[in-house]
Amino acid sequence: MAEMWISMGPQHPMTHGLWTLKVKVDGETVVDTEPDLGYIHRGVEKICEARDFTQITPYADRLCYASANTWSHAYIYAAEDLLEVEVPERAEYIRMVAVELQRVASHLMWLGAYCPDVGNLTGMVWCLREREMMMDLLQELGGSRMHYNFPRIGGVKRDLPIGFALRCRAKLKLFLERIQEYEAILDESTIFLVRTQGVGYAKAEEMINHGVSGPNVRAAGHNYDVRWAHPYSIYDELDWEPSVERPSIKGSDCYDRYRVRVEEMRQSALMILDGLDKMPGGADTHYQSGDPAILGKAPARAAEGQTGFHHFEDSRGESMFYLAGGGDGRGKHPYRVSIRSPMFITIPYASKCMIGYKIADIPAIMGSFDPCIGETDR
Amino acid sequence: MILMATEDVLSIRDWVRVATDFISENTIGMSRHWEYTDSVSYFLMEFIMCVMVFGGIMTTLLVLLWMERKLLGRFMDRRGARTSLRSLWVGENGVTAGEWWNQLPFGTGVPVGMLNKFLNEVAGNDHELEVVSRVKNRSYHGVWWLLPGFFQNLADGMKFLTKEHMVPEKADRYVFEIAPFLIIATTVMCFTFIPLSPNFYSNDSEMSILFLMAVFSVAPLGVFFAGWSSNNKYTLLGGIRSAAQLTAYEIPLLVTVLSVVVLSGSFNLIEVIEFQADSGVWNIFLLPLGGVLFLVVMVAEVERIPFDMPEAEAELVEGWWTEYGGMRWGLMFASEYLRTYAACLLFAHFFLGGWEAPLEDTIPYIHYVPHILWVFLKAWFMFIFFVWFRAALHRVRTDQILEFGWRWLLPLSLVNLAMATALRLWVYDGINGEWPLLIPILITSISLALFILLSVDEDPEALEAQTRPFSVQTVDVASPGQHRE
Repeated sequence: MAEMWISMGPQHPMTHGLWTLKVKVDGETVVDTEPDLGYIHRGVEKICEARDFTQITPYADRLCYASANTWSHAYIYAAEDLLEVEVPERAEYIRMVAVELQRVASHLMWLGAYCPDVGNLTGMVWCLREREMMMDLLQELGGSRMHYNFPRIGGVKRDLPIGFALRCRAKLKLFLERIQEYEAILDESTIFLVRTQGVGYAKAEEMINHGVSGPNVRAAGHNYDVRWAHPYSIYDELDWEPSVERPSIKGSDCYDRYRVRVEEMRQSALMILDGLDKMPGGADTHYQSGDPAILGKAPARAAEGQTGFHHFEDSRGESMFYLAGGGDGRGKHPYRVSIRSPMFITIPYASKCMIGYKIADIPAIMGSFDPCIGETDR
Repeated sequence: MILMATEDVLSIRDWVRVATDFISENTIGMSRHWEYTDSVSYFLMEFIMCVMVFGGIMTTLLVLLWMERKLLGRFMDRRGARTSLRSLWVGENGVTAGEWWNQLPFGTGVPVGMLNKFLNEVAGNDHELEVVSRVKNRSYHGVWWLLPGFFQNLADGMKFLTKEHMVPEKADRYVFEIAPFLIIATTVMCFTFIPLSPNFYSNDSEMSILFLMAVFSVAPLGVFFAGWSSNNKYTLLGGIRSAAQLTAYEIPLLVTVLSVVVLSGSFNLIEVIEFQADSGVWNIFLLPLGGVLFLVVMVAEVERIPFDMPEAEAELVEGWWTEYGGMRWGLMFASEYLRTYAACLLFAHFFLGGWEAPLEDTIPYIHYVPHILWVFLKAWFMFIFFVWFRAALHRVRTDQILEFGWRWLLPLSLVNLAMATALRLWVYDGINGEWPLLIPILITSISLALFILLSVDEDPEALEAQTRPFSVQTVDVASPGQHRE
């Protein structure tokens, strides 16, 4: 059969967003691919140059709809580096709870989208069921379901609500039990193993050369987790270890990437439980908003020449924020904001990963890299 | 009156015969063409039976769709079958979906309430705290809301009827229009040869199984036409996949059906059922392997998960019927379910004894249950498996489907045929027309033991060494840039 180009996207079930994957197929075999990004470019970096430092947080939230908290926190840490703010330790713990809950919710969203990618709808319903629990907890924290605007420069918007620790512990305990349900429906299904094992090999060296990070590179056996390699917040005080897969000599396949995310959900849940126990002041106490125990003092301006930078372990890889102070003449705005999106780097690599496999493997491979187009196009 | 195994309380065909006789005698019989009376009566009866069978199938098809919705909802809802029970009545943490049983008249709901209390104590999970007591968010309104849900698909059909019919500009118009008719007509034609009871069928042909299989395998041609003529890359891929898959699974299907034919000694479907009733053993107890093969192959033939590659919505959007809309799409969707229904009915007829009641000789007065009820119950029971597969399994890849078909199903079906031949030649007691009872018991118990042994497929060595038992490598190594010239 002759070769032909198929344009998968911008609206296609495989894309998980708004982008186009042009696929050149020879019969059922993929010969070449070409990703086409930029459909929802909003110019966030440019918009941020005309906003003061507090106003940028909601924009950072909206970088990724599935994982808003991790992005706003990535910005907040960079802004705190720029403005040289001291953050109370309790606020750091609350942030950790929010970020890790968001990570679990994001991975559940990923798993929920991955199950229909390989043809099972039950897994999606089950994952979204558990995601609801995480969303409810995040709603208690931030006040809304998707875009929380939760962190503040110097602390957090509000303390843990009364009874939050109790509910959080109960839900996470239930969640840790229910992870076994996913493993029952996925790991013990021969068809799932046949679909994911030996499909979409990606080698650790190649991924590092391309700049792929996060769960995708940990699935290939490279133990690089920013929270572990360069602990920023209070991650070195917690009892956890990054989930790393042991891949085959050919690299990591879709199954590795699935396993590493399931393990990471487990680690995050345990981390939250541990953090709730170790929280200074106790997880059951509740400070009023603006209390110095949860919100430090922060200047509103950054002089020219000051820069802030932070690299952050996002749900999808290593995200970075770079802020240069001294915009707007008086330093009220950043002069320049630069965002490093992990998926922007991963999607081109993943598109090349699927060359040589079948058309039916395209959603399985692309889905296993967990694409999120909101942050990719920024 | 003692009824024979193949006699029915609802002798519909006889009643229709009496009515048509009466009509033709009083019309044609009175005229000067009186010698055609019998022929006209026969023609009328056949016509009426055809319409009645068609109507019966189409009406009960709604049960299938309703079952699928309900079962899938239950499977996906909480924890599979166990909670499907609970989400109906039990609730969680003592919170139930409203104590509707107390509103039933004459205290008929009291046992339901007691059962609910019992289930709540046994299966209710109050240890999961208040977070999961969200069953009260489920809107279960009791049995009275069952029927509106049942007729949901009629409303869908009305919607399809009102939609505009569109043909893509660059599609091959004639083939595009012919394809749905080819698919739908041949699908409906299947039911001409499937009897619903000894007295409710439209055709009693000597070669009905052969003709049935022939008609059943015309639809893939229509699917290929539809996929190619739409002039869309996704439909083309879907059509080619469908043609490859259906061709690959046609042969095991035919060989499996042939084994049933060999066992029963007839190509007539009604005689196959009567043979099962007379010889006292259903075919599933003699050919369990054949039953499993037939089920698997039929899932592939009707293109349902895990073998729904031709319409894989993750990569091919909707496969070969992407470009169809309106009632053509609706009818093709219905024909998909009609094929599923035909598969279920055929399984009931081939392996589950058709209209014979279970333990018909043992349970008194069970003859008086209308036979048609057993046929439908068995078919619907088989449909549960189809829904269960869909809820529990993933989609298999194209090459894996073909490999599975050629390398596993075809040899296994040949083994099954050999088994059937051996059973018929050397085991069947042709003088009494009965099976020695030891044989089905032996075969069934051996198969069950094998099934249990084979379902424990964990490979401890592979777990130990962390190797991949199911690793399938398609290309040597795929790496970025390597394949680019």
